[in-house]
Amino acid sequence: MTVPKLIEIDSINKAYKNEGLETEVLRGISISVDEGDYISIIGPSGSGKSTLMTILGCLCRATSGTYLLDGEEVGQFSDRRLSRIRNEKIGFVFQAFHLLPGVSAFDNVMLPLIYCNKTPSDAADRVKRALTRVGLEHRMDHTPGQLSGGEQQRVTIARSLINDPKIILADEPTGNLDSKNGEEIMTAFDHLNTERRTIIIITHDPVVSQHARRILTLRDGQVVSDRINENFKESRTSLGRATVE
Amino acid sequence: MRILRNLAQALGGLRLNKGNTFLMTLGIMIGIASLTVIVAIGEGAKSKVLNRIANMGFGPESFSVYSGAGRLFFGRSRNTTSMTLQDADDIRAMPEVAIVVPRQRKRMRIINKKEFTTTRIYGVSPEWQPARQWKIVDGDFLGDMDMDRKRKVVVLGATPARKLFGEKDPIGKKIRVGQVFFEVIGLLEEKGLTESGYDPDDRALIPLTTSMSRLFRQTHLHSIKVVTTDPEVVQDIMEGVTKILRRNHGLSPLADDDFRFVTPEGIMQWVTESEQALNRMLLLISTVSLLVGGIVIMNILLVSIRERIREIGVRRCFGARRSDITQQFLFESVFVSLLGGAMGTVLGWGLSTAFKNFDLLPTKITLDPFILAFGFSIIVGLVFGIHPARKAASLSPDEIIR
Repeated sequence: MTVPKLIEIDSINKAYKNEGLETEVLRGISISVDEGDYISIIGPSGSGKSTLMTILGCLCRATSGTYLLDGEEVGQFSDRRLSRIRNEKIGFVFQAFHLLPGVSAFDNVMLPLIYCNKTPSDAADRVKRALTRVGLEHRMDHTPGQLSGGEQQRVTIARSLINDPKIILADEPTGNLDSKNGEEIMTAFDHLNTERRTIIIITHDPVVSQHARRILTLRDGQVVSDRINENFKESRTSLGRATVE
Repeated sequence: MRILRNLAQALGGLRLNKGNTFLMTLGIMIGIASLTVIVAIGEGAKSKVLNRIANMGFGPESFSVYSGAGRLFFGRSRNTTSMTLQDADDIRAMPEVAIVVPRQRKRMRIINKKEFTTTRIYGVSPEWQPARQWKIVDGDFLGDMDMDRKRKVVVLGATPARKLFGEKDPIGKKIRVGQVFFEVIGLLEEKGLTESGYDPDDRALIPLTTSMSRLFRQTHLHSIKVVTTDPEVVQDIMEGVTKILRRNHGLSPLADDDFRFVTPEGIMQWVTESEQALNRMLLLISTVSLLVGGIVIMNILLVSIRERIREIGVRRCFGARRSDITQQFLFESVFVSLLGGAMGTVLGWGLSTAFKNFDLLPTKITLDPFILAFGFSIIVGLVFGIHPARKAASLSPDEIIR
C-alpha cells in the first residue's frame, strides 16, 4: 500500500482575465508533495510562483486540473470549506508580514483561532507558547509598528503555527529582511521541518532555496526542473531556535 | 460563538480607527439629535394646545356657532350680518340646552387718561361667565341689571387692565371706549399667553345690550355659545341649530350655511391635523438627515475597505469565511450607527431641556424619539452597511494579498 501524498496537483492551469485579455499564468503543472517534505519553488518573476502558491494555499481555484489536499479534492470546495482548510491545514508566511496594524503581537497570533469552528479553551496559553517559541515572550503586547522586521516575521511564523497546520506556505519570507535576520528565519523553518511539518517556500534567492530538500524551478507557468538538493543536510538539530513544546 | 467573535473583531477595528468611527457617528448623531428636538417641540406645542382647550372651559357638552361661513379659524367672511338675538332666543328655547351666550365683538381703542391700548371688546350676556367658567379676581361680573339698563360698565382682562392701570386697582375707575365712558366693575383672572402668541387676557367685556345700542350700534351678533346638558346631545342640537339658523336667515335649500360651528371635537381635529402635518414634516426631515448620515457611514466604510484591503486578506488567509467578513463590517456599521444614535439622543435631550429651561420653546420629552432613534439607528446601520460589507467579503483573498 502506498502512503497517500499530502499534496497532489495534476495538470493545473490558471488563467486571469484582464480587460478581456486572457493571460495564462500556469500551464499544466503537476506536483506531488509528501508529508514532511521541504520544498522551495524558484523561478524568475512572472514565472507563476505566486499564483501557484495561491492555489496551493486554497486562496483561489485553478481554471482546470485537480488538486488533492490530504486526500480531499479541494478544487470544487465552497468558500466555507476552503476557509476551514486554510484555517486548519495551512499556515501562511508573507514577505510583507501582513500583520494587522495597531494590534498587539498576541492578538495577531490569536487571529487564526478566532476563525476556528470552536476556539480552543487554552487559546491564550497556546499563543503565549507560540510567541515564546519564536523568542518573543517579552514582546507580546507590542504592535507591529513597535517591532523590528525580524521580530515581525517571527510573529507571523508564530501566527502560522498557532493552529498546528500540516503545511507552512511561505512567500519570499526573507525578502524584506537583512541577511542576518533572514538566516534566523530560515533556521526557524529548518527546525519546523525537523518536526515533520511540510514546508513550501517561494523565493528567488538561491541561498534561501538551498535550505530545502527539493527545489522546483518554474518558468513561463511550467515546471522546468524538479530536483533533490544535494546540499541539504538531513540533520539540523543544532539549528533552530527554542525548543518549547 | 462565531458571531460574537466577529462582533469583538468589529469593535476592535472601530477602536483602532477612532477618527473614522467618529466621522461616521457624526451624521447619525446630528440626524437623531434633530429628530429628538423636533419631536420634543412638537409634543410641547401639543400639550400647550390641549391645556389651552382645557383652560377655555370648552367642555365636550358645549359648542359655538359663528356668523359667516368659512373654515374653523381662518378665512371666514366678516361681512355676514344675518345672526341676531332672535337666533339666540330660538336656540335657548330648545330642550337640553342649558346656557346660551350671544356675543358681539369688535377691536377698539380703550383709554384711561394718558394711557391707551387696543383690545377686543365683547358684548356678552351675564351667562358668559358660567359658560366659560372664568373666575373674577376683583369686583363683580356683569349682572342682569347691567343688561336691562344697558349700563356702561366693563369687566377687564388682565392685559388691558395692566396697560391702563399698571399695578393700581382699576375697580370703580372710568375708562373711555371710543367716545363712550365705562366704569370698570370687575377684573378677570389671568390665563397667560399661549405658545402661538394668542393672548386670552387681551379682552374687555361689556353688556350685550350696551354694545348693541350704545357702542357698536349694530344688532347682528358675532357668535353664540351654546352649553348643553349632556355631551351626547351636542350632535342633535347642532342639527337643530342649523335648521333654526337656516330658517331664520331665509336660506334657500341650495344655499350654503352662512355660519359655522366650533366644537371641542373640531378643535381637537384641527390640532390632530396640524400635528399630522407636523409629523409628516418631521418624518421627512429626519429621514433626509438619517439618509445623509447613512450615506456618510457607507462612504467612509467603502473608503476604509480600500485602506483595510490587506487586513481583510489576512483574515481570509487564516480562515475567515466571506460571512465572517460581512458580519464584521455589518457589526461595525450598526455599532457606529447605534453609537451615533445614542450620542444624538443625549444631545437632543440636552438641547430640548435647554430650550425649555431658557424659555425659548416649550418642549416635552417623551419616550417616542428614544425608541425611534434606536430603531432608526439599527436600520440605517444595516441598510447602509450591507453594501460595503458585501463588497469587503467579495474580495478574493489572493487578490488582496498581492
